[in-house]
Amino acid sequence: MTVQVLVFWLLALVAILGALGVVAARNPIHSAIGLVLSFLNVAAIYLIARAEFLAVVQVIVYAGAVIVLVVFVTMLVHPDDLPEFHGRRPLRIATGLVLGLALLAEVSAAILAHGLRGTPGPWTDDTIAAVGGNTRALGQVLYSDFMLAIQLTALLLLAATIGAIALARPEAVSERLAAARRVMTISLAHPRGLDQPALPAALPEPQNGRVKEAGGGRPIVLARTADEFTEQPAWGEWRAR
Amino acid sequence: MEWQRLIVSYIVGFVLLNVLLGLMAYMTWFERRVLARMQHRVGPNRTGPFGLLQPIADGIKLLAKEDIVPANADRLVFLVAPLLSFALAPLGAAVIPFGDTLHLFGIDIPLLVADINVAVLYVLALGSVGVYGIILGGYASGNRYSLLGALRSTAQVISYELVLGLSLVGVLILSGSLSLQDILREQQRSLVLGPLTLPNWYILSQPLAFALFLIAAVAETNRAPFDLPEAETELVAGYFTEYSGFRFSFYFLAEYINMIVVSLLAATLFLGGIDGPIADGVWWLAIKALFFLFFYVWLRATLPRFRYDQLMGLAWKVLLPLALLNIALTGLVRLWGIGAL
Repeated sequence: MTVQVLVFWLLALVAILGALGVVAARNPIHSAIGLVLSFLNVAAIYLIARAEFLAVVQVIVYAGAVIVLVVFVTMLVHPDDLPEFHGRRPLRIATGLVLGLALLAEVSAAILAHGLRGTPGPWTDDTIAAVGGNTRALGQVLYSDFMLAIQLTALLLLAATIGAIALARPEAVSERLAAARRVMTISLAHPRGLDQPALPAALPEPQNGRVKEAGGGRPIVLARTADEFTEQPAWGEWRAR
Repeated sequence: MEWQRLIVSYIVGFVLLNVLLGLMAYMTWFERRVLARMQHRVGPNRTGPFGLLQPIADGIKLLAKEDIVPANADRLVFLVAPLLSFALAPLGAAVIPFGDTLHLFGIDIPLLVADINVAVLYVLALGSVGVYGIILGGYASGNRYSLLGALRSTAQVISYELVLGLSLVGVLILSGSLSLQDILREQQRSLVLGPLTLPNWYILSQPLAFALFLIAAVAETNRAPFDLPEAETELVAGYFTEYSGFRFSFYFLAEYINMIVVSLLAATLFLGGIDGPIADGVWWLAIKALFFLFFYVWLRATLPRFRYDQLMGLAWKVLLPLALLNIALTGLVRLWGIGAL
């Protein structure tokens, strides 16, 4: 137990340091790295609490997808175009401070009202083992008691996906067809799409040009095996020089 | 004894890590020899018999090279990124079962480093974190080619990770578990189809998922024909353009270890892993994994590189709908199987 507590404090410390790094770093990519560090440590804390599924999903969704997208977008923007990270924006700092304090107050109120340990629900170690592991238990609870919430979330995500497709889609039908054709064409010879004008039947003659004569001074080496080609002997072979 | 099991699994992990590193070195040799054979060349044959000492010679050469950090680089990130890539690569092998327990010195030694009950998701999580090595390396180099390679790689890995994860859902529905050991146990049963008695390998019940997994795995490991992040004709060498010496080789080695881990995973998930017609054991897993490794090299020798828009179009417009279709079909069959339809 004591080892677990020690590991917990270590993880919590690194998670908090990572979170501080997010705010303190001057480079947005460094901020993102700090956030990933924080997320990974929180995932490890979930592992200590024996919530393996939650831990892995935390890594896949937050560390693996969300922050990767943040880094992706940050890298697409030129560093000079990024907004100032620190200083000279008093209004923005004040807004952040107020919002942060509001969040802190909410979290503290929640902790003070219910205590740090929280109230234990109907699930104990025995009931979880009876269902067959906490992944299974989580699935059962999510898809029976919280069905409505799951369906609503799925609907929201579907709407977001359709919105993204609608935004990225070209307006005109001809453009859509051309785009589809470009994607589906695998050109094996020349990187020309199908939607370009045809080449002229005959290329124009070179004007006052001179065709370079074929041939050259270099002899052609015909070698049947590598040994005929190189001077270096093969393994275990001594060749007279 | 809790601590004894911990020590045993550390030792198994250490042995596994060393075996993987050795295999990875000889994977480079294997690839060069097979590729040469396919292209009517000889391949490395000067260092050692059949060029067998070539990987060692390469390693020594890379160690002796200068470690250059570009002036424009984000120094710390530049130095750490390849290590991140390399350190995450072999972790996936920790959950792959290499056999039943072994009795040695009076202790039961399970031939598996860690039996995690969410092993499949764990491997996917490693893949999604592994992309950081590439992104950060490309960003920190302070070079446009590297940055472009990193951007391509990010988009590619995110898209194909989705396909990879969704292609596995069919297997998970059939096995009803996220643990690789349970999936393996399920595959050791036999499947009776009329007069035929076949092994219950998921390649037979999930052929579409297998094809999708294979394609997505090749893209996920950045191998040809999906090696756009390092397309040398356009991007010099992509995200590792600025790397030299052993830091360059960390990326290189991570790619080969990823190939081996993905091959082991494919063999475990779809081909029954250690299950074979006679004498179950780790050798069956090795044969199946070797087949996948050969397949990787074969692909590289056969197919030209995709164009970038084709790559993304393939993932989002072909593979993703197919994966969703597979999930829906498998779910229906499963419901019918348990009598709910």
